[in-house]
Amino acid sequence: MATTQATTDTAGGVLPATPGAPQSGGEVEREFTVKARSQRQQIIRRFFRNKVGMTGLVMFVVLLVFGFIGPLVDGKTYDAQNSSAQSVPPGTAGYLLGSDAIGRDLLAGLMQGVQRSLFIVLLFVVIAFPLGLLVGALAGYFGKWVDSLLMRFVDLILTVPLLVVLIVVASNFPSSRTPLGVGIILGLFGWLDLARIVRSQFLSLREKEYVEAAHAMGASNARIIFKHLIPNTLGSLIVWTTLAAATAITLEAALTYLGFGVNGANQTSLGRLVSDGVQAASTRPWLFYYPGIALLLIVLAINLIGDGIRDAFDPSNRRVRA
Amino acid sequence: MFFFTIRRIIASVLVLLVSSFLVFALCAASFDPLAKYYTQNPRPPESFFNNLREQLGLNDNFFVRYWNWLSGALTGDFGETINGTPVADQLIGRIGVTGRMIIAAVVIAVVLAIIVGVVGAVRQYKASDYALTFFVYILIALPTFWFAALLKEFVAGGINDMLGSQVLYTIGEETPGLGLYASGWELWSDRLGHLILPTISLAMLSFAAWSRFQRAAMLDVMGSDYMRLARAKGLTYRRTVVRHGLRNALIPLTTVVALGIGTLFGGAIITETVFVWHGMGEYLINNGIHQNDINVVLGWLLVSAVFVVVFNLIADILYAVLDPRIRLA
Repeated sequence: MATTQATTDTAGGVLPATPGAPQSGGEVEREFTVKARSQRQQIIRRFFRNKVGMTGLVMFVVLLVFGFIGPLVDGKTYDAQNSSAQSVPPGTAGYLLGSDAIGRDLLAGLMQGVQRSLFIVLLFVVIAFPLGLLVGALAGYFGKWVDSLLMRFVDLILTVPLLVVLIVVASNFPSSRTPLGVGIILGLFGWLDLARIVRSQFLSLREKEYVEAAHAMGASNARIIFKHLIPNTLGSLIVWTTLAAATAITLEAALTYLGFGVNGANQTSLGRLVSDGVQAASTRPWLFYYPGIALLLIVLAINLIGDGIRDAFDPSNRRVRA
Repeated sequence: MFFFTIRRIIASVLVLLVSSFLVFALCAASFDPLAKYYTQNPRPPESFFNNLREQLGLNDNFFVRYWNWLSGALTGDFGETINGTPVADQLIGRIGVTGRMIIAAVVIAVVLAIIVGVVGAVRQYKASDYALTFFVYILIALPTFWFAALLKEFVAGGINDMLGSQVLYTIGEETPGLGLYASGWELWSDRLGHLILPTISLAMLSFAAWSRFQRAAMLDVMGSDYMRLARAKGLTYRRTVVRHGLRNALIPLTTVVALGIGTLFGGAIITETVFVWHGMGEYLINNGIHQNDINVVLGWLLVSAVFVVVFNLIADILYAVLDPRIRLA
């Protein structure tokens, strides 16, 4: 609509060209005055115009600030125990969100918990992403026995619910009851579905003409995989990363609740705060509500971002045109 | 379709065999059933340990142990727990307990997912769609045990106060000991009272993700040509949506639900822990992993893996039923 108007405006506003005189600027000769955008620019633009995705992004940034800059402003540490302020309700001087049974400040705990949970997610993605990408890419690109071997392996592990695999593994490593250990375990077993997604995409992409062309020009397998195929699966990769990050936070909380996650002395994470709080639901409700809400918000934010990105990558998206 | 089913069952048996071997290797390498005696004070004499090892067959070769377990499992004997009770007897009762919870939850969740998904797709970008989406996103983000604790705290307390009697129970799968003397209506109404909260908790959390799949699938279908054709030849809107659209849009949901039932077994672990149900999940955690008992863990995994495999097969067959274009061969 805007474009048609713009065209008529220019067309109407332009004086008849005098022969021999150069036209001012190139715009007049253009049929449409729409700015050319690359696909990447379009995707970014679609994302920034997507209300859902932007809500998630804003929430996520606020949580980042809360977790990483908050402790600097607040100036308290969660480790500090105060025997004269045990189980004080929210609003007590110095304890904005109250304190727990041994007098630790809940606000400081939440900040640290958010920080540690994000650390777990980061670790998880750093480990699981390359593993899943590599396995999926190899299986999908080479097919034949490589595919059978790798995918049967993935199938094998997937016959057992992920939570149970994690529990069995975590129970063998009692020293892994720290955010670091839990992050590593989550990462080592969290790549299976990514491998499946990448494989299925590669199966169809490797038949495309541009892959054939690259072969014909003598490109190596590694070059085709990394330069041609992986960039074309970028959309699914990003979407998987966000959604898996949200799952990782939930899984960490579940593991911790069952007693196989973060539970070392002086170790904390959102999952730990929430599972500790569940015991205090009726007696000290603030210990129950605030960590739960923080966990809810963080998972919600990541999921919303993932949804926004998926919409932005989807060319059949009818709503947001950019 | 018959041969397809047969072939899939054979392939699944192979997968189960290999996965049981892997799990056995993992457990055998890491679990020590004698661990609890090591820390006992005073420490039992070495001959006690040797006897126990001999008795539990820990001195045998790894492959011999696996073979012993496997040949037993094939004849329905899953071995004994460390404390000497047969695993198979326990498993059957516990499958019943977990099954009660999962079946009810899955049925409710599927119905809810279809309704919410279809409503969301039909009324895309309208107020009701946004409200449902928001609600569903909150449910997806909720940690299971936190939500369950909320239910225990408010729903159970509120309803029991309102009715003036204990109708909803927050702990256990039945009033302890009731099964010994009560039967019929008394027993089942008591079990129903115990069942409601865990079922709600499990159903709400699983339906949320499923409804998103249903909505996406429905949107895909609504944009397709045959839907436009159905409208163009004069069918009512309602009929096109329900008869032509929904049927095709159910296919992705079938996959997700079939895979989800396997995962629900895992998810039920948390729900069971919160509501103190003596089901499969509790068995795995308390009797299996905490006691370092290989037979219990293996029995659990075998049962849950059979469920996963069977439901995958059901999903494959359902595709062909829902969409005649798909031929199983």
